[in-house]
Amino acid sequence: MRLLQKRTPGQTVLDEKGERRQAGMLFFALQGLFTLLLVFVGATGSASAAPLRTGHVQTQTTRALTNPPDAHLRQLIQAGKLAPTVQVLPSLAPTLIEQFPLVPSGIKQAFPSATAQVTIVRGNRDNAVSDTITIDVQHMPPNITFTIFLIEIANKPFGNVEYVADLTTRGDGGGETIFQCIALVAFSMDARNPGTSQDDREGATSGVNLEHMGMWFASLQDAQRVLNNDTLTGTIFDGGNPPLHAGPQAMTDGQTAPVF
Amino acid sequence: MKNPRLSCFYNRLSLTRLMSSLLLLCLLLTACSTSSAQQTNNSTPTAISSTGGVQKLTFPQTPPSLRTPAFGASEQIAPTVKVLASIDPSLIIQFPLFPASIKKLFPKATALVTVIQGNPEISVFDTVVVDVQNMPANVKYTVFFTELSAKPFGHAEYVGDLFTRGDGSGESIFHLITLVAFAADNRQPGTSADQSGPASGIQLEHAGIWFDGVTAARVVLNDSTIPGTPFDGGCCPLHGGPQAMTDGQALPVI
Repeated sequence: MRLLQKRTPGQTVLDEKGERRQAGMLFFALQGLFTLLLVFVGATGSASAAPLRTGHVQTQTTRALTNPPDAHLRQLIQAGKLAPTVQVLPSLAPTLIEQFPLVPSGIKQAFPSATAQVTIVRGNRDNAVSDTITIDVQHMPPNITFTIFLIEIANKPFGNVEYVADLTTRGDGGGETIFQCIALVAFSMDARNPGTSQDDREGATSGVNLEHMGMWFASLQDAQRVLNNDTLTGTIFDGGNPPLHAGPQAMTDGQTAPVF
Repeated sequence: MKNPRLSCFYNRLSLTRLMSSLLLLCLLLTACSTSSAQQTNNSTPTAISSTGGVQKLTFPQTPPSLRTPAFGASEQIAPTVKVLASIDPSLIIQFPLFPASIKKLFPKATALVTVIQGNPEISVFDTVVVDVQNMPANVKYTVFFTELSAKPFGHAEYVGDLFTRGDGSGESIFHLITLVAFAADNRQPGTSADQSGPASGIQLEHAGIWFDGVTAARVVLNDSTIPGTPFDGGCCPLHGGPQAMTDGQALPVI
């Protein structure tokens, strides 16, 4: 405005250029404002839904805190009835999600950095038709097939066992497998003489509870080659022909107390 | 302080920019719709050849051939097992379950088990689908792999549950080792005959469905004298009910 008050012929062109620049700036400023307005309206729209969401979150948090299966498992860990390596996730009732690691056993010397994480998800104790187990491994021997067993005892002689799945590692030694079976109340029995055993969370149950997990080399030859040890002997830890064609245990939960 | 020239200029400028923006938007939309239309119409994909020219990719127009894989080459298989003709390398078998303890009250109950093995060499588990019809309604059952199809059943593995709906039908799907399932105590594993030949442990080559609870079984079968069985996990011992469905075969079904 000050430029327009004292105009000279030379200044007029400059003034007009200045006005155009100002107009351009004003236009972009308006566009910016408009964008901001749109964002604001969007945010307000979301905010209007926010109270409901917050309400849900609050409800969910409350439910998570009062999830009886979680609370029961935490009590068992504190009482030493469940292995201290077990993490019970703060999940929403009625789900139960627990995680625990597997550590190197037979591969400890050659692959000390090998890790495995087991996640078990159970929807609802009374309605779920099976549990979902996810196993993620890292830094394992690459391109090798391992078998996964639910077992009675974490270390030798392992006791009663149940073959549940395989896991084949990739070239980088990583891998994962997901399967659905009964895990949290898994048991082994000969129905001719089933007997009973004590389950950590259920109390007395039929059969012999399988409350540990391990991974084995599916092939003895693979184990001998990977571990550079020709004296390794065959084990039962793979299905099918011939007997004792599996290798040694690669990973174990390594716990005395049950992990599930 | 309002300058009429300036505001007129602003108006013209805004209008011009608005028109240009609209024009650009229209051009953009036209370009997009033309591009997608071209993609839709062009049903035969193209690829750049190694010499730099564009060549048509060709895809099969006929289904892969089916073959019936060998199952149970080294031991006899139950006559009720149907090995489906499937695409190599998959193996798919099916077999029925028949009413056991529920036969008198539910003679029309049926169950069909389908076992799928993607690639016997590399699959990490098998998929088991259990479909039932005309069973006692709204009841929970357990599914076990067993050493023997009939009493005393021998070694057993608890694999999953199945709920029936109000019409007595239901289905469950499990992912676990099935075709080479075995039970063993590693302190004394022994060996037994499997479809693949002699194998470690005791082969579990039968499937059955049990009442999850003896209480439900007593109600459904109207018999308060039915004793409990170990065919369910968790508390308490012998709270499972009797076998509801069996493969009923002396020879292996899985």
